Amino acid sequence: MKAIILAAGRGTRVQPITHSIPKPMIPVVNKPVMAFLVELLKQHGFDQIMVNTSYLAPAIESYFGDGRRFGVDISYSFEGYLDDERIVDAPLGSAGALKKIQRHSGFFDEPFIVMCGDAIIDLDLTALMDFHLSRGALATLALAQVPREEVASYGVAVTYPNGRILQFQEKPAVAEALSTTVNTGIYVFDPALLDWIPENGAYDIGSQLFPALVAAGEALYGATLPFQWLDIGRIADYHRVMQMALSGEINGYTPPGREIAPGIRVGLNVRFDPATCNIEGPVYIAGSATVEPGCTLIGPLMVGPGALLESGARVEKSVIFDYTRVGGLANLSGMMVSGKYCADTTGTVIDPRASDIGWVIADARAPRSEPGDYQRLILESLA
Amino acid sequence: MNLHIEASGNRTPVVVLSSANLDAGNIRDFREAVEPILADHDNLILDMEQVTFVDSSGLGALLACLRLLQGKHGDLTLCALTKPVKALFDLVRMNRVFQVYPTREAALLGLSAS
Repeated sequence: MKAIILAAGRGTRVQPITHSIPKPMIPVVNKPVMAFLVELLKQHGFDQIMVNTSYLAPAIESYFGDGRRFGVDISYSFEGYLDDERIVDAPLGSAGALKKIQRHSGFFDEPFIVMCGDAIIDLDLTALMDFHLSRGALATLALAQVPREEVASYGVAVTYPNGRILQFQEKPAVAEALSTTVNTGIYVFDPALLDWIPENGAYDIGSQLFPALVAAGEALYGATLPFQWLDIGRIADYHRVMQMALSGEINGYTPPGREIAPGIRVGLNVRFDPATCNIEGPVYIAGSATVEPGCTLIGPLMVGPGALLESGARVEKSVIFDYTRVGGLANLSGMMVSGKYCADTTGTVIDPRASDIGWVIADARAPRSEPGDYQRLILESLA
Repeated sequence: MNLHIEASGNRTPVVVLSSANLDAGNIRDFREAVEPILADHDNLILDMEQVTFVDSSGLGALLACLRLLQGKHGDLTLCALTKPVKALFDLVRMNRVFQVYPTREAALLGLSAS
């Protein structure tokens, strides 16, 4: 059976993480978000998977390859062009992506699954497909309930009791929302639906295609199947999903590494003696990382591959990405940190180079710089 | 660098730092502007409401002011840190060194109470 994963977005609301990695490749501990989706598709027999790529396309294409490692076939529909050896992204929108593939080969010749590459789900795709086929729908949307105060981030759907969709509201104000049932971006489409997408140009499923279909009286259905839906729309969502993953709260997912003490997991080649640190799990120290004696680690916490926590560092409920050096003076709480940035869940970002704080946060592979006069003054004050 | 003193109706004057940055590019100006104020007072409140970027030189310059006042048995109190500046302060534990209040009013109240 066939599916498409939409993977062309820029992920601007998840910056700065998405400056260097496309959203589908955002790591949930050790695994890109999209890998969860490929595994779910495979589990439900969807083994012919198209992926539309654009922004930072090579990162996705080189990780998933032809899909064989995942037991599926994967191919990519690239949206953009090469300009002087540089890939320029020119995404076509979610609906435009489907149209491009259909025009290219007529790939979609049976009802197929559509999903966004930026959410972790455990939806019963078999049940969703059964629902779709039993209704004879042109499109079936997996719906979910959200708290009313969050509706403004989503497309709201109003349905009849049998699931048929009466109306959509794209990102309505809280006061104007007609329901708290929202579109999760997971669909089953009948190939006939592709006839509704313009031949060329950018076109969006949620804000353009669906409203047009509803206005024309086409059979759109919403299925409210219970499932875990962890959307990584904003940086705060990413932090929350990481906290859940490290705590073992994502269905079907166990954090990696070997458990050396309750709540403490380590990868290979880690230099770390838990007896010398103050630790509250869950903590995951990835391969080849170093945690010097005298650190305080409060979970849920990940110390990424090759990272270095220097003696005295205090790190709490944070994500330390690969090859990050965290100096002994650092106090990190609720942060996502790499050698290039230190971001909190509200979108505040510290650039360690611009702020000249390489003595606190840096790339572990870069040579250490000698502290200047002012830095010495700071170090003395904190000593 | 524009530093102006506002009378607080209390013994501790409030100095407003009217610059978006306090960094390597302007700490020389800051030092020159703050020097006479430091000479005239033992205790100061520095209102940081307008400052959205501080680098390690800026932190160092603030610490130098603190040391000078502490040398006179006074203190430098900071208030109204913007989010990015507060994030940097938290990161390098400056809250262990400076008294920091969320608002100017809280700083004035806090100082008059102590």
